[in-house]
Amino acid sequence: MKKNKKMLAGEETPVVNDISAEGLAAVTGQSEAELFSFVEYHPEEAERIGYSEYSYWKSVWKNFLKKKSAVIMLVVFLAVFIFSFIAISPLCTKYRHYTELESNKKARFTTPNKDYWFGADNIGRDYWYQVWYATQHSVMLAAIVGVGEVVVGVIMGLLWGYVRKLDRIFTEIYNIIYSVPTIIYMTLIALMIGKTFMIMCVSLIIFNWIYTAKNIRNLVFMYRDREYNLASRCLGTKLGTILLKNILPYMISVIILRMALAIPQTIGMETTLAYLGLLDVQEPALGLLLRNSREQFANYPHILIFPAVIVSLITVTFYLAGNAFSDAADPRNHV
Amino acid sequence: MLKYTIKRLLQSLLTVFIVVTIVFLLLRLMPNDYYFTEDELIKLTDEQKEDKLRAAGLLDPTLTQLGKFYKNLLTKGDLGTSRRISNGQPVWELIGEKFGISMRLGLIALGIALLIGIPMGILQARYKNGIFDHLGTAYTIFINAVPRLVAYSLIYMLGVKLFKLPSMYSIRDPGRSSILPIVCLAVGSIASYALWMRRYMVDDLTKDYIKLARIKGVSTRGIMFKHVMRNAFVPMAQNLPVTFLLTIGGSLLVESFFAVPGMGPLLTRAITRYDTNVVQALVLLYSVMGILGMFLGDLLMSVFDPRIRLAGKGGETR
Repeated sequence: MKKNKKMLAGEETPVVNDISAEGLAAVTGQSEAELFSFVEYHPEEAERIGYSEYSYWKSVWKNFLKKKSAVIMLVVFLAVFIFSFIAISPLCTKYRHYTELESNKKARFTTPNKDYWFGADNIGRDYWYQVWYATQHSVMLAAIVGVGEVVVGVIMGLLWGYVRKLDRIFTEIYNIIYSVPTIIYMTLIALMIGKTFMIMCVSLIIFNWIYTAKNIRNLVFMYRDREYNLASRCLGTKLGTILLKNILPYMISVIILRMALAIPQTIGMETTLAYLGLLDVQEPALGLLLRNSREQFANYPHILIFPAVIVSLITVTFYLAGNAFSDAADPRNHV
Repeated sequence: MLKYTIKRLLQSLLTVFIVVTIVFLLLRLMPNDYYFTEDELIKLTDEQKEDKLRAAGLLDPTLTQLGKFYKNLLTKGDLGTSRRISNGQPVWELIGEKFGISMRLGLIALGIALLIGIPMGILQARYKNGIFDHLGTAYTIFINAVPRLVAYSLIYMLGVKLFKLPSMYSIRDPGRSSILPIVCLAVGSIASYALWMRRYMVDDLTKDYIKLARIKGVSTRGIMFKHVMRNAFVPMAQNLPVTFLLTIGGSLLVESFFAVPGMGPLLTRAITRYDTNVVQALVLLYSVMGILGMFLGDLLMSVFDPRIRLAGKGGETR
C-alpha cells in the first residue's frame, strides 16, 4: 500500500519524487537531525484519547429547537395545561370540586357570556369548569398510559430481543393482540370487568405495550451484534455499559416517540370508548364532553368547539413534538 | 413457498384458536342469568331455569362446553343461536344481515380512499416541499393526531349544515344517508394511504438506483412510475388486505355515530346485552379476518417484489 502511494506520488509530482529523509532534507535545506527527533515516551500521554465537545443531550436539544412548529405547539400546550390549573382554582370559578357543579335549569345551553365563560351544557352546568377539569383528567390518563406502556414495553422488548427461547411466546402474544381490533378487547373488558379510570389505564397498557416491545426487539436485533458492539465486548466493556451507552441512544428516539404518540392515541381511544358508553361517567374526561355534545352541537356549537379545540391542541402537539424529538434524539441525525 | 404457506396457515389457525378460546372462557365467567331473555328471567322459577340450563349444557364443566363448542363449529359450522338480541335466530343469519350493510359502506369508502389517497401521496412526493405537499401533510397530521370523534363531528357539522345531508342513516334512503358515513370512513384511510405512499416514495427517491436512472436520462415521469411507485407499493401491499378486511367489517365508531345498523352496533349490543353466542361468533369472525389479512398481505408483498422470499430463515419480512 505504502509503496503504491509512493509510486503514484512520484508520477504526479516529479519535483519531490523521493519521500525519504534524504530527499526532504535536500528540498528544505535542513539536516536530517533537525527534521526528525525522537519523542519521549510518556505512559499517560500514550493513553490519552482524542476528546470532542460532543454531548448527546446538548445535540438532541439543539436539533429539537430547530423544529419551529413543534416547539411553538409545545409552548402553547404547556401554557394551556398550566392555565387549566388556574382556571379551576377559586381565582376563576366558585366551584372547588367536580361534584359541586350545580345544574341550573334556566342556564341550559347558555352561549358564552360574562357569567358562563364557556357557556353551559344541556342541564345548565358551567362548561368552563367542566372543560378545564376534563383537560387535566385526560392529560393525566394519557400520561399514565404512555409511561406505563413504554416501561412495560421496553422491559419486555429487551427480554424478547435477548432471550431467544421467549421469541415464540412473544410472537404469539403479538399475533393475538394485533389480529383483533383493540376496541373489541376494550369493549369486552369494559363490560365484563368494569369501566373505571384505573381499569381503563391498565387495559390500555395491556394492549399497547406489545407494539413498543416489538420495536425495541427489532432494535436490539439490529444493534446487538454490530461490529462496534463486538469491538466493545472484546475490549471488555460490561454488558450494562454496552446496553446503556451503545444501544440505548438508538432506542431513546423510539421510546420518546412511543411515549409521545401514546398520548394522542390514548385520548383518541378514550373519546371512542366514551362515545360508545364504555367509560365511567363519574369522572369527566374530554371524551365524555365530546360524546355529550353529539346530540346538541348542531344547534349549540359552543358545546363542541371548546373541548374539540383543546383536544386537538393536545393531540397535535404531542404528535408533532414526538416526531420532532425522535428525529432529534436519533444520534445518526447529529452532526 | 408451498411449505411456507402451509406452515403459516397452521400458525394462523393456532392464533385464531387461542383468541377464540380465551374469549370463550372469559364469557363463561359471567353469571348464567344471561342465558335467559329479560321476560324469561322474571317469569321462570328457579327450578325451571336450572332445567333449561341443564338442557342447554351450560351446567357442564367448562372444558366439556369448550369441546362441544368446537365440535359444533367444526362439524356443522354451527355457532348456536342468538338469545337476547333476537331470540332463537341463528347467529350466522343475524350477522349476515348486518354484514351486508357494513360491507357496502366499507367497500365504497375503501375505493374512494384508494382513489384519492394514493394519487395524493404520489403528488406530494413528486412536488416535495411545495404548497400541495404542505397542505397534504397538514391533513395527514390532523387526521392522525386528532381523535376521530372530533373529525367526524366536524364532517357532521359541515354535511348537515352546509349540504343539508341526512344526519342519520336510514334504510329507506340508503343513497343520500350513507354519504356522511362513507366520507367519515374514508378520511382516515385517505390520510394513511397518502402518508405511507409519500414516505416510501421519498425514501426511495434518494436511493442510488434513481441517481443512475437519472444519469442514464430516464425522464422524471418514467422514474416515478416505473421505479419509485412500484417499489413504494411493496410495503403498501402488505397492509392493504388487513385494511380491506377490517373496513368491510365495519367501524364501531362511525356506525354508532350515524346509527348505521351494521356490524359495529351489533357487537356493542351483543356485548352490552350479554348475548354470548353472538359475541363469540363476532370475535371469531374478526380474528379470522385480521389474521387472514396479515397472511394475504405477506403473500401479496412477495408477489409485488419477487426478491422477498418469505420462506427464508429468520422470517423478518420488513
